Amino acid sequence: MPAEFRLNLVFGLIALAAGLGLFWRNRTGRAKAIDRGEIVDLNRLQATKAGLPVTAFGKRVTFLQFSSETCSTCKQTARLLEELEQTAEDVLHVEVDITNRLDLAKKFHVIQTPTTLVLDHTGRVTSRIGGAPKQSTIDQQLGSFAI
Amino acid sequence: MSTPIDPRGPRFGAAITATLLALDVYLGLDASTLGAAHVLLGVITVGFLWGALRGPANHPYGYLFKTLVRPRLAAPKELEDSAAPQFAQLVGLLVAGTGFVLGIFGFSAGIPLAAAAAFIAAFLNAAFDYCLGCQIYLGLKRARVIRWKV
Repeated sequence: MPAEFRLNLVFGLIALAAGLGLFWRNRTGRAKAIDRGEIVDLNRLQATKAGLPVTAFGKRVTFLQFSSETCSTCKQTARLLEELEQTAEDVLHVEVDITNRLDLAKKFHVIQTPTTLVLDHTGRVTSRIGGAPKQSTIDQQLGSFAI
Repeated sequence: MSTPIDPRGPRFGAAITATLLALDVYLGLDASTLGAAHVLLGVITVGFLWGALRGPANHPYGYLFKTLVRPRLAAPKELEDSAAPQFAQLVGLLVAGTGFVLGIFGFSAGIPLAAAAAFIAAFLNAAFDYCLGCQIYLGLKRARVIRWKV
């Protein structure tokens, strides 16, 4: 194969990878609104926070974050949402490692982590964020629950 | 096995790997350099094997990063667990290793194809901080491809 043609193929490959990356970066961390979402069952979720079982939703909004053990961005997301919980009132952040809770992964159709479900005060799923949430996504979600 | 590491280390390593893989695709596309491409893919495969077994911090690229690059950078904002990059190394090992073995059995197109596939993953990791462990680990586990724990 001529060298020039080979070079063009390699550049094409680089362009393809860059295009995939831009597409992924644009899509990841965005919220998708869920119409008539289901109500999360805390008994089934069996989530704990600081060692204690979670028995109530946030009074305004709950960010239910599904994480896994090989996920580096999950920790960044958890830190972001924990900080938010400290500063914004009535916001609850719950993190569940679903590596060994494949029943939850199946029920909520989770394939990538982090996947964050946004719940209203009754625990109903209103939005879903695939990938590490962008700051603007979080602000927008909070805004939609303004009292 | 997991240890806290500077998250920029694996991305630095992925940049080197992506460069080598792009070169490998170029070499693998011509019959006259196919042999060299096969050897280079073997070397890259061994690199992935090393990373998958011993983790990114104990990899030669990790050592390069620690001694040459990190002293010139500001401290990282936070450390990350080595489990995610180690999983990515395992995926790289499977892809590059498949190409290498296909080459041994005479399916020489497998060499540039595997190198191209691994290049895309390494490039996304280096340039976009794309994390394979976040994207496909759970899916593989749900499909029961993975039964073990990292």
